[in-house]
Amino acid sequence: MIWALAYLPVLAGLAIWASGGSRIRLGASGAVTAMVVLGLAVGLGGATGRHGWSEAFTLHAALPPLAQAVAVTVPAILLAVTLFAAAHEAARGLPRLIGLMLIFTGGMELVVIAADLVTLLIGWEIVGACSWALIGHKWRERAAGPSAAFAFVLTRAGDLGLFLALMATVAATGRAGYDALGALDGWSLTLAAFGLLVAAVSKAGQVPFAPWLFRAMDGPTSVSALLHSATMVAAGAYILARLHPQLSAAPGFGIAAMGIGLATAILGGVVALRQTHAKKLLAGSTSAQTGLMIAAVGAGYPAVAVLHLIVHAATKSALFLAAGIAHRATGSFDLRMKGIGRSLPATAAMAAVAALSLAAVPPFAGGWSKEAIVRALEHASVFWAAAGIAAGGLGAAYATRFAVSLFGKCFARETGEARGELAGLAVLVAGTLGLSALWLPWMHDRAAEWLGGDLPAGTRAGFIVALAATAFGVLAGLRAARAGWPAPQRDWLGLSALYEHGAIRPFRRCAEAAARFDDGVVDMIPRGTARIAASLARFASQVDDHAIDGLAPGGASRRMQGAIGGIAAGMAALSGLGAGLGERLSDLIPSGTGRVTGMAGADLRRLQTGLAHHYYTILVAGLALALTLVIIGG
Amino acid sequence: MLTFAVLVPLFAALLLAFVPVGHAAARAIATGAAALALLALVVTWIGGGEGFRAVAEVPWIPELGIAWRVGVDGMSLALALMSALLFAVTTAWPMEDLPDARAYYAWMAFLAGVSIGLFVTLDLIVFYVFFDLGLVGMYFLIGRWGHGEAQHAALKFFVYTLAGSLLILIGIIALALNMPELTFDMRAMIGSPPLAAAGMVPGLVFLAFVVGFGIKTPVFPVHTWLPPAHVNAPGPASALLAGVLLKMGAYGLIRIPLQMMPETFARWALPLAILGVVSILWGSVVAFAQDNLKRRIAYTSVNHMGYTVLGIAVAGSALGSETARELALTGAVVEMIAHGLITGALFLIAGAVWQRTQDYHLPNFGGLAGPAPRLAGVATLAAFASLGLPGLAGFVAELHIFVGAFGVYPWLAAIGLLGIVITAALFLGMLRQMFFGVTPPERAGFADLTGLELGLLAVLLALVVLIGLWPAWLLGLVDAGGILPLAGAEG
Repeated sequence: MIWALAYLPVLAGLAIWASGGSRIRLGASGAVTAMVVLGLAVGLGGATGRHGWSEAFTLHAALPPLAQAVAVTVPAILLAVTLFAAAHEAARGLPRLIGLMLIFTGGMELVVIAADLVTLLIGWEIVGACSWALIGHKWRERAAGPSAAFAFVLTRAGDLGLFLALMATVAATGRAGYDALGALDGWSLTLAAFGLLVAAVSKAGQVPFAPWLFRAMDGPTSVSALLHSATMVAAGAYILARLHPQLSAAPGFGIAAMGIGLATAILGGVVALRQTHAKKLLAGSTSAQTGLMIAAVGAGYPAVAVLHLIVHAATKSALFLAAGIAHRATGSFDLRMKGIGRSLPATAAMAAVAALSLAAVPPFAGGWSKEAIVRALEHASVFWAAAGIAAGGLGAAYATRFAVSLFGKCFARETGEARGELAGLAVLVAGTLGLSALWLPWMHDRAAEWLGGDLPAGTRAGFIVALAATAFGVLAGLRAARAGWPAPQRDWLGLSALYEHGAIRPFRRCAEAAARFDDGVVDMIPRGTARIAASLARFASQVDDHAIDGLAPGGASRRMQGAIGGIAAGMAALSGLGAGLGERLSDLIPSGTGRVTGMAGADLRRLQTGLAHHYYTILVAGLALALTLVIIGG
Repeated sequence: MLTFAVLVPLFAALLLAFVPVGHAAARAIATGAAALALLALVVTWIGGGEGFRAVAEVPWIPELGIAWRVGVDGMSLALALMSALLFAVTTAWPMEDLPDARAYYAWMAFLAGVSIGLFVTLDLIVFYVFFDLGLVGMYFLIGRWGHGEAQHAALKFFVYTLAGSLLILIGIIALALNMPELTFDMRAMIGSPPLAAAGMVPGLVFLAFVVGFGIKTPVFPVHTWLPPAHVNAPGPASALLAGVLLKMGAYGLIRIPLQMMPETFARWALPLAILGVVSILWGSVVAFAQDNLKRRIAYTSVNHMGYTVLGIAVAGSALGSETARELALTGAVVEMIAHGLITGALFLIAGAVWQRTQDYHLPNFGGLAGPAPRLAGVATLAAFASLGLPGLAGFVAELHIFVGAFGVYPWLAAIGLLGIVITAALFLGMLRQMFFGVTPPERAGFADLTGLELGLLAVLLALVVLIGLWPAWLLGLVDAGGILPLAGAEG
């Protein structure tokens, strides 16, 4: 039954893709599927499942509270995004889009329910493949294909870490379950923990893998809303939280996670603050916020990370939907041309709530979860807490800048909001507001207890400094929104260009050189061999004509010629295979190679007529050679 | 029953060679023969059993210990089933404007009989004869019905692999001579491996087998016959070359050096594993640089067979735990089946593209997802299967190989993993160039796959999905534990 969480959306997605239909039908069927999955996720708490996949690997699924919290979040976000997509996206390809989003969610649910590394790997890569199809959804456009491939290849490079973790776990324990991960020690534990960390940070768009999130912006807005909130990116943070008990035993794991997470939180914040493209601003922000979650895991508070994940999912997808509505109204994602709050009052109001939550302003949900992360970091050290507070300040600045630029100033435009779009947005904003109840002690204590983790206690000074940083960030954001900065020269502080010039192009050049080497040099083995064989065969046939023919004229000579040619060719093949490469290198390819190959082939083909007696002659020749070998060797 | 599976296609070939029938009838006869062979093999499969089953023996040259011996274990039965299915699909594949269609289908049927025969025989001489007759069949299919420099490519293929098979013959004879009693019975040699002592002779015999089978598999650096043969071959022949003929090399590597010379194999396992990893990386890097659709797919065969060779080398290493070696061998055999189905489908797709455009140059394509959504769909599925996406067959194989290899040669497994990133890049690049972006004007009238083409590809890809979701049935059939030599006990 627990597997239904994964396969139900996949099957429904395929059915919707195949059957198509009107916008209303697509939206309704997608929303119904999302609600069924949501109901299953709520009802299946604590369930487990197994599937005898192969002799060596049994797939395991489980739904402990931490997983269940995410398993519920995923279809909830999907519900809102499907409603939005059915109303917002282009009609051409809409069934494919909705269908793929459902399949994508199914893959994510498989990651969530996984209780062993093979199941995790399967879900993990299905999510990656779906992201390829979704980012490349608008395949007619020039940018879609390369961006989709870039995103998939970069995240798959990170997946190698998961492969390594799996291999190390099975090699050490013979099993792949999460419990086996806990039984590791020594280098296999280190390899597994850091392998998983690499896989997680690549999916989560952390430094240095962050640029794929920017390229993912070439997909439709609905895809961004889903990919950045509850799926794909969230998978990275989720898996670290889920496996924290097993991984935290590895030396250096916590520091590495906090280092990567907070570096991304600050750099991503800077990237977001400088962006003038609405979706790219949000993409930088996603990296930064996910970095905070990973830092919280590193500090030893996975429950806090998951709570921030849930809050961020609702907030961030709401902001993407708002950006999409603004894009439809103005035809561009450029923040400097906007200011359309008056034309889209409902959107503007809801975006404001989500932006305040992202800015971590109390009493909104994001404020609570970010404060909890700062408190968690305080437990690690003051240094980490300071970095977390700085990242929070940056978050307040870019969130403010986003909302004010987009909806602040008043350019009246003839536009409107579709009901489906608003419905999706409303679901998410209602979620954000509901989650704001986390500020209540009763609520967050209960939530942490259920998730099975402690809440960190913080100092009053830390709280005040963090609030001050947020306030300062909001003011800075207001200023930035009015300043009208130019668009940054380089994507992701030049990281994208580094990939292009430091990895992709050099690799392509290497591959082309390898291909030339393959055609020119490796291929000399057969050509050289053929040439030696041919000259030997020619020599043999001369001997045959002049010497043997003279001794035994008559019918037998033809067969003898064949036999000697066969022996010669066989021996030449043996010697030539070794000598061919060197011989060719010193004696560059003569133009007659092709002709000579042909002659050798003709000789050999004559042997290969399929007639039995020719086989016997070859057999005899081989026997002679084998006997020689035995004599020499013995 | 197995003899029946071999003789039916050969009889059909004979029939087609001498009885003048039309194109449609010839196709029906050849397809029917392959389907009957498949049916016979399925019946054998249902019969079940352990070890070598459905064994039959008819003496041929008793003085030399040569006989018509047939029988299958799980591995050879799985390979024979896959081959028969691939033959049924490729002969049914619609070929328009086929000159001398009757001869084409005769050679296809001949090749089917020979290939199935190779996998079901238990006599080394018969094995060798079928190994060479396979070359003859493929030589004519490429040379007569290919395009471009078909003659030259066919000749290169033929001579190169024939050179390899001569080495195999020498090795086979050396093995037989070292048996207590002269025989070419595979079971006898597996039961009491000859040439067990250390020394130069077993090493040389092993080398002869590795080079001979390595050419056929193909392994770096003796793979250069493969790309021209594929590029110039007609689509179905390419599918068979990649799907069935390459497997003969890998199958031979398991059946003869691994099972009959386990101790020598264990001594040389590390170099062979390195060769496998080099093939994985070299095949994928060179494939990445190809602009020609078929050359690109052809080089991915070098990559995929590299996974297989790595798995085989690990299985015979006599190092690590038996579980790890069994995993690697399971993976190697599943890789052979998966590669046959997936690459068979990819080459049929390439054939469909050629029939419509007479072009393989990838930059000349683009935006075909618009006019040809069915083609785009099956090509995407096949490409993702080939790059090892979970839920599809290739992943099952690669997972088992890598997990097994890590237990024996961790560094090699880690380096080999890079191959899966490069294959992802090259297949996504191929899909983008074919199907994304703007359709060039000269491709405006591109016709989508017909219902028959789609149906045939769907048969192959459905199996790929089935193996990916629920591989247990295939792994149970293959039963790698039964193939694994017991050399580990002796160290």
